[in-house]
Amino acid sequence: MFKLPKEVADLINDPESIKIVATTDEKGNPHCAVKDFFTLFEDGNLAFAEEFEGSQTNVNLVRAIWFDKNVELTVRGKDGTTFQIKGKPCKYVYIGELFKKFYLAAREKWGPDSELAGVWVITPQEVKNETYEVRKKEEDEKHPFFRHLDRASVRKTKSVFLGGKDEN
Amino acid sequence: MYELSFEEVAKKYPDFPRTIMRKIDTALRGIIFTEKALERAKEEGAFYDASADFACLPTRQSEKSPLPVVAEPLPVVAEPLPVVGGVFFRDGTYVLGLESVTRGFHSPSATLVRSGEPYLLDLVNGKLWLLDGEPRPFRQNNMADAEKLSCYSLSTQRKRRGEPVEEVYFAPVPRYFGKKTSRGTPMIKMISSRAPNRISINISSGYCHFFKEKLPCKYCNVIPWSIEKGLPTLLNLEDLYETVNEALGEEGGFTSIHLTGGSDPRGNAPPLLRFAKQSGGDKPYENEVNEYIKVLKTLERCFGREKIPAVNRNGSLPVQAIASAFPKKQLIRLKEAGLTAYRSNLEVWDEKLFQRICPGKAKYFGRQYWIESILQAVEIFGRGNVSTQLVAGAELAKPYGFKTIDEAIASDLECAEFFARHGIYTTFCILWVDRGSVFYREKQELPPLEYFVRLAKGVNEIRRKYKLSSDFNDYRRDGFHPDMDLARLAP
Repeated sequence: MFKLPKEVADLINDPESIKIVATTDEKGNPHCAVKDFFTLFEDGNLAFAEEFEGSQTNVNLVRAIWFDKNVELTVRGKDGTTFQIKGKPCKYVYIGELFKKFYLAAREKWGPDSELAGVWVITPQEVKNETYEVRKKEEDEKHPFFRHLDRASVRKTKSVFLGGKDEN
Repeated sequence: MYELSFEEVAKKYPDFPRTIMRKIDTALRGIIFTEKALERAKEEGAFYDASADFACLPTRQSEKSPLPVVAEPLPVVAEPLPVVGGVFFRDGTYVLGLESVTRGFHSPSATLVRSGEPYLLDLVNGKLWLLDGEPRPFRQNNMADAEKLSCYSLSTQRKRRGEPVEEVYFAPVPRYFGKKTSRGTPMIKMISSRAPNRISINISSGYCHFFKEKLPCKYCNVIPWSIEKGLPTLLNLEDLYETVNEALGEEGGFTSIHLTGGSDPRGNAPPLLRFAKQSGGDKPYENEVNEYIKVLKTLERCFGREKIPAVNRNGSLPVQAIASAFPKKQLIRLKEAGLTAYRSNLEVWDEKLFQRICPGKAKYFGRQYWIESILQAVEIFGRGNVSTQLVAGAELAKPYGFKTIDEAIASDLECAEFFARHGIYTTFCILWVDRGSVFYREKQELPPLEYFVRLAKGVNEIRRKYKLSSDFNDYRRDGFHPDMDLARLAP
């Protein structure tokens, strides 16, 4: 079973991080939705709450579990650290202890009239660091000629010409 | 006739979800537990022994009568009456094929006729799996005689354990199990929760006038079940009130309530000329409607009048009646009493087969009457709140039914298209051939898997074409309709 690195797990467990689930419909049209109440299990799976039975995300997730499709989760912390997790939905529960835990959490957050349709469990298969600085370094190495020529990394700046320190 | 195996059907219909196909197949073949699976059910709070609640005397079945003959009184040694909270596929689809335990209190010794070797429910590497011990091409030759499915031990006749095919999970039994009302009535006797998010209430407590007149629907054995179960002859409304209140208190538990019962076409009011000849002068189905209204009034107390507008924008209760065909006036009474949705099961579309398979419905008061009632209901309850059901497989009954599955499917889809044009959704259930029914005595066979797959596709396509919803009968508020499982892709 693929296990998420600790820094990814920490970000998922951070209640202030933003989590977005991306799915596709039967025609391949993408759909993204912000999701709450994420939980990471010891077996490496992660679970999140689905508020509404009729949501496009829910419909797409049903299709994904039926026809073995992938979904993607993006999680971003307050400092901009971002990870993208590709995985497959492995379970949907709307009854029992797991569902009840999420249901009561929803009640606590949104009030006694809140609603929750169910809980999706996703099995992660790969993770990618999408943090800007990390990606920039990767792209610079992979495609050095994609860089704009006015970037500091490509050209000596005016201050150097005037006797300043050469940052490169 | 050669019938396609599961894998052959799956290959032929690649756009049909395997999970739903497996659900149909488990309904046809049944599932038996291993001891390890049963232990896991107990560990997870998914097992309950209802024998103390339903202490029943064993009964003897008479071959000549649809009603069981109660045997001579025996010492009350209740058989274990296992009830499991429910088994689900990974996607939340309700697993069929476990009727002997998930509806255990309806049929203490359920003897559903199956086709082929049953699946096994067992632990594999600590997880719960369905195992299929029959990977070879499937051939339905000798109809397996009704077999009591033991939920305690592995069948000793099984030589092969089989391959794991689907991971499944248990649902815990509801909290009201094991509790009693202030009158000492076990709550499990008052309501049922077979479907995960639904409270079911039987308003007639084991009475069906069609059975009384020896005109039962030929697939039905609800009355023999109820008698075996020892249901009270009268539903005690205070017991019901306490039980429903208890059930409603379970967080994240139930989202809808279904009322159902046997048919009672009698009434006490002055005769309507149209029905006078057939019914002996009574207002049709008034007795039955009166019972529904009593229950609706009780349920209203559970929600509280001030909460009703919040429950439903029309001010009605989240309740569906799965009932007989009522005349317009009775439907209006039900609406005024708070009913939201109405399902009247036509069961069989073909006119001649309707007469043969549902003689009671044919007598009270004919196919056209039943169709008109369903059509009128849409004016009263609104589009999306009225539906009907077919018993898929009944129309293939031998020797008088359709000869091919093509003919049967064509007839069923004609029904679905007809009602859909009027804003009514048609669903279907998989035929059960169970002890106590006429079909059981006739040794009727189950149709092949492919028939149900094609029917589910066809019915779902019609639903999508007419943009119909039937939320009361969906995969988690009912769970017995493969076409409604498919509807999850376009709710």
